[in-house]
Amino acid sequence: MTESGAAVPAHKELVSLTDTTVTTHLYTSATGLIERSAAAFAAGVPEGADDDGFFGPASVTWRMSADLAAPVAGLRSLLVQALHPLAMAGVDQHSGWRRDPVGRLAATMAYLTTITFADRTAALRAAARVRRIHDHVRGTDTVTGRSYAAGDPALLLWVHGMLVDSVLAAGSLVGTALSAADSNRYVAEMVTAAELTGVPRPLVPSSVPELDLYIASVRPTLRCTPAAAESMTYLLDPPGLDEDTAEIWRDVRDAAIAALPRWARHMYGYGTPPALTPGRRTEIRQSLGVLDAIFLSQPDVLEARQRITVRMRAARPA
Amino acid sequence: MKLIRLLGAAMAGAATLVLPRRRPGRLRLDRGRAALRLAARGGVRYAASTPRLFTAAGEQRQQLREDLALQTAEDVAGTLGAMKGVMMKIGQMASYVDDGLSPAVRHTLARLQDSVPPMSPRLAAAVVEEELGAPPERAFARWDPRPIAAASIGQVHRAVTLDGRAVAVKVQYPGIAETIAADLRNVALLRRLLRIAAPAQDVDALLSELRDRVGEELDYRREAASQRLLAACYDGHPTIHIPQVIGELSTRRVLTSELSGGVRFAELASWPQHERDLAAETIYRFVFRSLYEVRAFNGDPHPGNYLFHRGGRVTFLDFGLVKHFTPAELQPLMDMARTICVEHDPEAFRASLEDAGFLRPGAPLATQEVVEHLAVFYDTIREPGPLTITSDYASAVVRRFFDLRCPVAGYISVPRSYVILQRINLGLFAILGELSATADWRAISEEIWPFVRGPAATPMGEAEAAWRARRPARGRDTWPWAPTAG
Repeated sequence: MTESGAAVPAHKELVSLTDTTVTTHLYTSATGLIERSAAAFAAGVPEGADDDGFFGPASVTWRMSADLAAPVAGLRSLLVQALHPLAMAGVDQHSGWRRDPVGRLAATMAYLTTITFADRTAALRAAARVRRIHDHVRGTDTVTGRSYAAGDPALLLWVHGMLVDSVLAAGSLVGTALSAADSNRYVAEMVTAAELTGVPRPLVPSSVPELDLYIASVRPTLRCTPAAAESMTYLLDPPGLDEDTAEIWRDVRDAAIAALPRWARHMYGYGTPPALTPGRRTEIRQSLGVLDAIFLSQPDVLEARQRITVRMRAARPA
Repeated sequence: MKLIRLLGAAMAGAATLVLPRRRPGRLRLDRGRAALRLAARGGVRYAASTPRLFTAAGEQRQQLREDLALQTAEDVAGTLGAMKGVMMKIGQMASYVDDGLSPAVRHTLARLQDSVPPMSPRLAAAVVEEELGAPPERAFARWDPRPIAAASIGQVHRAVTLDGRAVAVKVQYPGIAETIAADLRNVALLRRLLRIAAPAQDVDALLSELRDRVGEELDYRREAASQRLLAACYDGHPTIHIPQVIGELSTRRVLTSELSGGVRFAELASWPQHERDLAAETIYRFVFRSLYEVRAFNGDPHPGNYLFHRGGRVTFLDFGLVKHFTPAELQPLMDMARTICVEHDPEAFRASLEDAGFLRPGAPLATQEVVEHLAVFYDTIREPGPLTITSDYASAVVRRFFDLRCPVAGYISVPRSYVILQRINLGLFAILGELSATADWRAISEEIWPFVRGPAATPMGEAEAAWRARRPARGRDTWPWAPTAG
């Protein structure tokens, strides 16, 4: 779901890891991230909607959107999405991340929030915009030599599938563990999300077993490219964190890695972590609760969540 | 909390594949902290206006509250679980002990507080039924299903007992005690949160105080014991009123007390100054009589915990944060007051500070410096005569307390057992300052100080003396339900 415009060859953007100018720039940019993500979230939740959108207040999708495990799901999905060389190359070569990482992530937050909570008209409008941006993202992956296009349903499907799979995996590990029936329902509901980005509906897995089969079918094409390894190393262990924050970060990272499928851990070269003890799970959830409190305190986020909660409560069977 | 911002990336990037290649800068809290602490120095405002009543915020808000009401134990866990309830308690505590509570942290905690709706009538009724063995409409003659106030981990309902007494019933959120108990065990994370919330404080001292106090709040029976003790001690007092606990309707998660009238703090502000002075005198007497004679200190001097009546009568509510001192813990506090205010002996004052653990023994400081730094806390009681406590004075006390630039500050710490005592200086003076209260505080203190036992200094003092003469003298330890100190 890359959406930045100009195609810049990757090597021109590569910079030394110790480049202090860039370091400062990234640090400065990253500071606005939660504020802008939160603003995007708050703005994406409508005050009054013409209809309940493509999912609705009784959907599993709405329920999971506010799950405590969301940061773990996000990190885990980045980890698995990065293993697709063409998807990785598309981001590496086109993403606006390098120029405006905060804006890039906030845009994704806005998009996801809109297609989830806005009415159908607004959701369709947002999806059309993303599809138009994808049309311009084309290139050749320097690692595999294969050409790619962001609008390729195969790439879109991978990004979609990994999001869905990660929400389920992170939920069952440290968040809301869905029943088998609700897991299937969630996968089926999310077919619409894939369709909105341009994947023909028949191609999209609509149950957990189908999703598993699909993932297994893509696995032979996956590899941990240098770009993926480097980016993930950074993301999992951001250097220079102060002691307090590094500890909280570790909890999210541990959970994301623990939630990975074994093959993905293998490809990255991570060992198999010990099973999460109930005590460790509680600790991770406590860290996630702190994060959620910070997010919640951003302007308008509480009100946006309350709007969602009111609609969900109204839809709850008495 | 730069990390938290980074984490937003993970949250926001759930469906994307955008990965940085560059290292971030050093993400440090210290710089932000320093800036925020400086900002906070501008002045400390006591959160007198914090609305505690759901009903105070208008019809529309009330409707929203009802729509959002917590309907199940899962709703409660989602709102107060995973550290959030504990963070609220940290905020409550830190706001009294540290002016370094940054605007950002303060805002986060306030929003967190706002995020807690009341229980639905059905959920609250279910807790009552589990605790009292009957649904509220059978356990009580009348039961108002709409809560009148939020309590720290519960809410308050009005009711009438079967024998016709009007009562306030505090009902605890279901399942929350277990969650908070588990959250309190995550010492590593609590330390981090406390470091962020109250960077100027001794984290270990705060941590153990937090764990003790919050742990006690989880069981309303502990609060009931404190309330009974104080109600008994002040039984018949001319101006201090503690509502009686209705024992047979009180359990671990339900606390039923006699309902009291009176007006809230905000309304008191509009009363004549004479009334405000009397109310302030009553609060002052309550705080220091409780400390010196009952060896108990209500550590939650929130304006929401008082109800005011004409003539200086004050009803004191909410005893969830009562700290009980041992005689050994109390002695150094008395010594400090005696040596500086009565004996005017700087060296002895310094020695008592060292005994209490406030001042590092052998600190390379002139005694004069120490006295100058700490005497501000005794400014109101060093000399006899009427004195007005202003908001400016209250802020000065707070600023002095947290003035880390002063050379003396490096040698001062607050021992664990006294962490909660800081609220006397901060919370009490903030309230008295808010009231612009005038009295001869020194003369009143002399009445109360066990080492002086001065004559009645005011008409209220005379009424109090007459009350004391009427009742048998006995210390707190003769009350069978007195909670143990510690």
